Amino acid sequence: MLRVSNLSVTYGTRRILNGIDLQIQRGEVLSIVGESGTGKTTLGLSLMGLLKEQAEDVETNGEVYLQERDITKCNEEELRKIRWNRIAMVFQNVENALNPVYTVLDQVKEPLMENKSWDKEEATLKSLDLLQKVDFPSHRLNAYPHELSAGEKQKALIAMAFVCDPDLVILDEPTASLDVASRQSILERLRLLCRDRAVLLITHNLAVAGGFSHKTAVLYGGYIVEFAPTKDLLSQPRHPYARGLLRSYVGMDRAKDLQGIKGRVQFVEKGCPFHPRCTQAIALCEDESPKLVSLGERSVACHRGGIVPLLEVKALTFSVGPLRLIDSISQIVFEGETLAIVGASGAGKTTLAKTIMGLLNSTEGEVLLEGDKVERRDKDFFSRVQMIYQDPREALSHRLKVLECVREPLDIQSVGTNKQVRYERVKAVLEEVELPTEDEFLQRYPHQLSGGEVQRVAIARALVLNPKLLIADEPTSALDASVQAKIVKLLNNIQEKRGLAILFITHDIALARKMSDRIAIMHAGRIIEEGPTGWMLSSCSHPQTRELLKAATTIERLRDSSDES
Amino acid sequence: MKTTGTHYVIAFLIILFLNFLLPRLMAGDPLTAIYGQEVLIQMTPALKLRLTESFGLDQPLWEQFFRYVFSLFKGDLGYSFYHKTPVLKAILSYLPWTILLMGTAFTLSGVMGVVLGIESGWRRGRKIDKSLLVGMMSFSGFPSFFVGILLLLIFGVELRLFPLHGAQTAYAGLSGLGLLWDILKHLVLPLSTLVVVFLSGDYLLTRSTMVTVVKEPFVLVAKAKGLTDRKIRYKHAGRNSLIPVVTATGVRFGSMIVTGALLVEVVFSYPGMGSLVYDAILTRDYPVLQGSLLVITIVVLMVNLMVDLLYKKLDPRTASAQ
Amino acid sequence: MIFEDLGKQLKKDTFGQFGIGLTILFVIVATLCPFIAQDPDAHSILTFQPPSSNHWLGTNDVGQDVWSRVLWGVRTSLLIALGVGLLTTAFSTTIGVTAALVGGAYEIVVMRIIDALLAIPTVVVLIVISAFIKPDIFMLIVLISSLHWQGGARILRSQTLAVKNQLHILAAKTFGAGRLHIIVRHILPELGPILIVSFIYTARMAVFIEAGLAFVGISDPSTISWGRMMYHSAKFYYLPVWKWWLLPPGFALSLLIVGFTFLGYSLERVFEPRLKDA
Repeated sequence: MLRVSNLSVTYGTRRILNGIDLQIQRGEVLSIVGESGTGKTTLGLSLMGLLKEQAEDVETNGEVYLQERDITKCNEEELRKIRWNRIAMVFQNVENALNPVYTVLDQVKEPLMENKSWDKEEATLKSLDLLQKVDFPSHRLNAYPHELSAGEKQKALIAMAFVCDPDLVILDEPTASLDVASRQSILERLRLLCRDRAVLLITHNLAVAGGFSHKTAVLYGGYIVEFAPTKDLLSQPRHPYARGLLRSYVGMDRAKDLQGIKGRVQFVEKGCPFHPRCTQAIALCEDESPKLVSLGERSVACHRGGIVPLLEVKALTFSVGPLRLIDSISQIVFEGETLAIVGASGAGKTTLAKTIMGLLNSTEGEVLLEGDKVERRDKDFFSRVQMIYQDPREALSHRLKVLECVREPLDIQSVGTNKQVRYERVKAVLEEVELPTEDEFLQRYPHQLSGGEVQRVAIARALVLNPKLLIADEPTSALDASVQAKIVKLLNNIQEKRGLAILFITHDIALARKMSDRIAIMHAGRIIEEGPTGWMLSSCSHPQTRELLKAATTIERLRDSSDES
Repeated sequence: MKTTGTHYVIAFLIILFLNFLLPRLMAGDPLTAIYGQEVLIQMTPALKLRLTESFGLDQPLWEQFFRYVFSLFKGDLGYSFYHKTPVLKAILSYLPWTILLMGTAFTLSGVMGVVLGIESGWRRGRKIDKSLLVGMMSFSGFPSFFVGILLLLIFGVELRLFPLHGAQTAYAGLSGLGLLWDILKHLVLPLSTLVVVFLSGDYLLTRSTMVTVVKEPFVLVAKAKGLTDRKIRYKHAGRNSLIPVVTATGVRFGSMIVTGALLVEVVFSYPGMGSLVYDAILTRDYPVLQGSLLVITIVVLMVNLMVDLLYKKLDPRTASAQ
Repeated sequence: MIFEDLGKQLKKDTFGQFGIGLTILFVIVATLCPFIAQDPDAHSILTFQPPSSNHWLGTNDVGQDVWSRVLWGVRTSLLIALGVGLLTTAFSTTIGVTAALVGGAYEIVVMRIIDALLAIPTVVVLIVISAFIKPDIFMLIVLISSLHWQGGARILRSQTLAVKNQLHILAAKTFGAGRLHIIVRHILPELGPILIVSFIYTARMAVFIEAGLAFVGISDPSTISWGRMMYHSAKFYYLPVWKWWLLPPGFALSLLIVGFTFLGYSLERVFEPRLKDA
């Protein structure tokens, strides 16, 4: 029905859209998701051939095929005939999208009477029908726009768009002026209206895209960075930006704390538009912009093929005699993500961590780091994978001062040319974990620090080599609750900033919920269930998981039980 | 409606009062003020006495005022010694010509001005717009009487295309089509003058509004709806641009428009209210002046009132904003 | 700040350049006319002369040099323009701003009066009054101003109302700013643009009105006014030299008004950003 091929739009010297490729079939809804200024509305307007109205110096390249006819090659008169009859748009700006001197009904009827020469009665009937379908109050039909609320105006705009029975409908933020309750109802009605049409939904609101569309394309900096069936995109985004976007959303099913995307929107001359904010960017990302590459049903535009699988364990086993402490574990930890391993004591969690780190030798299976099989754990390995432990006081030598503790990995790996450089690095990383950097603090011994401070020093030490993966083994169980909260926040912030992947090991599923993107449940050395955190907690099936959930801490349950006893 | 009405009533009262007060403010004998020096000389003392009595000039001021207002209601605006008829009669014979001239000029310039303004505003920045704009702005600087004189010189005197004065050829005894044609011929020059003068005002205002309206989202929506360019220009953008023009017209009517008409009539000796007032000034025919002021004010107030009502119909936002 | 913007805008704006240019030209002429023109009132026996090297536009019925009279007429028109402009603006600002700030019964009464006065056809009133009282130039300035301040007052009131509630003024109040301080430092600068534009348009209108009144014969014969010159010339239209007495003042008048028009128009654009691309 609609096929966009290599569409690029430039305003003067600024490129708003770059090489956009899209396809929408009849009966299909495609959402374009992106934040402000990414060019979504420009895309909508360009499909209607209305860009010239916005700016004089606009230039369009590429083709747009509406049922195999290239509308970019049409002249103004041909375009005019297509507009509204074949393609219609629900505009974003509800305030002034309706002419203040004519009634709502008149404006809805207008295209029918003008474009299709319907007579007044027929046009009125059809308009009334549509207005009723969008739940527009019937006593307001002859009202003027300034007498209507924003929601009513939006409904009128929607009805108006469908009045000529277009084949393609572009919805530009159709629910932006509605409150959440009306939103649902309108979306329902829209679904009915959109049957048998091709629909392009433009929105910044992932929830709307999620509930309504079959496929979603994520737009950033004028490029489509990911394109996938909506369900897949929302449960497991593969492009770093898409993931960042998903993480910024509030939702009842989102458990992990909100995280932003580091940096801010900036115009990028060359290379991947996202690279200044990407935590897994490589040199190539600065020079060349990646093309959309399809991987099965979805496509991602990333030189690294999407979010990089950082650490992969395949059929990892560690046995002591016949006892398999960890039994054929296969897992992937993705770059910049937190995978929580949750299980009761003795499930094998710490064993797993130690095996990965090489503190225990696996009996079977292999470990791959960034795609390469890890033969031995060398300096290179440790510069990319670090670990923090349950008892930080044990993990730090009580003979070393803070400065020395944190500097130790640098010394071992001979990082930096001299002591001064390392000193600066230590101070920088201490600042990152929100510890003081004055000499007074640097000269202290661990026993002079509080529990929280000690754990932070341990984290600082782990971070000083700039690893990509941090394995955290119950890092907060030994700490007070308020301190635990701060550590959790700290780890999430560091992840946002550095793109650090975290393998978070805990027995507390409630804590895992706060920390992780994905959860894997471990029991008796095996992974029995895993999935995205929000989904897992509501739809898990394995009885063990249920047990864990039931036992999980809830304040209410504690309060209730103390009432009873 | 009530609020609209009150200030017109107040305005009318002020004029009434002013009219009454003026002659009595001048130094000297009120009769002189009312009739002027020249006329007074011709009067016999007996006549003077009678007039003084009928005006109640020996009565206290407020009584005089009441007499004045009362006589107004009777339709008695005084007597013109120059024209030798009651003032009201004189006015009524001159007024229709003014209405003809002003009416047509107003309508023509309004329609042309708005249309040109819409077309110009729509094509903002392009050659048509720029040339129209410069042209109009330059023309707007020429005072109405000057334009009249120029047109008179060029088309009347040099080219001898049109008659030089009057509304119809005197003593011609024409009737029917002939009469119509004669009237039209006499109308052309003064009409053209007024149209030229009024045009720029409407044009500029419409154009300015049009330029802002065109940027409104609903104009983009209209285009998206597949409407023809012309439909968008007039039905959507134009219609919105009309509103301030109508308001402004109401305001301008009193000062600019009336002045223009009066002055142009003088230039072409067109027998409308302008000429009447001019002659009255020359001959110091004060009753005529006062009467004219009153009648003109009433007409202007009525027009303002109509404009106010029209405006409420044009802009639905005002209706409910009460 | 306003003036820097102004400078930049006017550099690109042909209308503005014209407007300012013409105005400055006229001001220069007005100041220099004692030096560049002959005595305009000097009678001579050389009457009804056609244009010559001595008298660029010839002489009139009492032998006065027409060209000099045209030049001296600039003074009159500019004086009227300035006088009416200033007086009207001062008056309308005071009334409009106080009405908005004081509010209450004062505002209501004032607004009713303004509405009523606005409905009156001012020029007709002016004509009639002038017929009775025969004003000289200063009287005329006062008369015209007294009939024209209402429009400005109404606009200024609504603008002040809008400005009054702007955040930076409320903020100033929290610093303890008094009324006068707020008016001078916050409100007047906001109103500046409108004041300037309205000043120019009022000036323009005043020039036109004075000329119109003079043309009809209602003005002080001793003041040299273009309108009066045209009125005077009408009496002698049977003479060929008539053109030289009529057209030059007419064109001078038109030029001055056009200058003001262009100036006003481009200033409007400078101050109203939405019209900028107009």
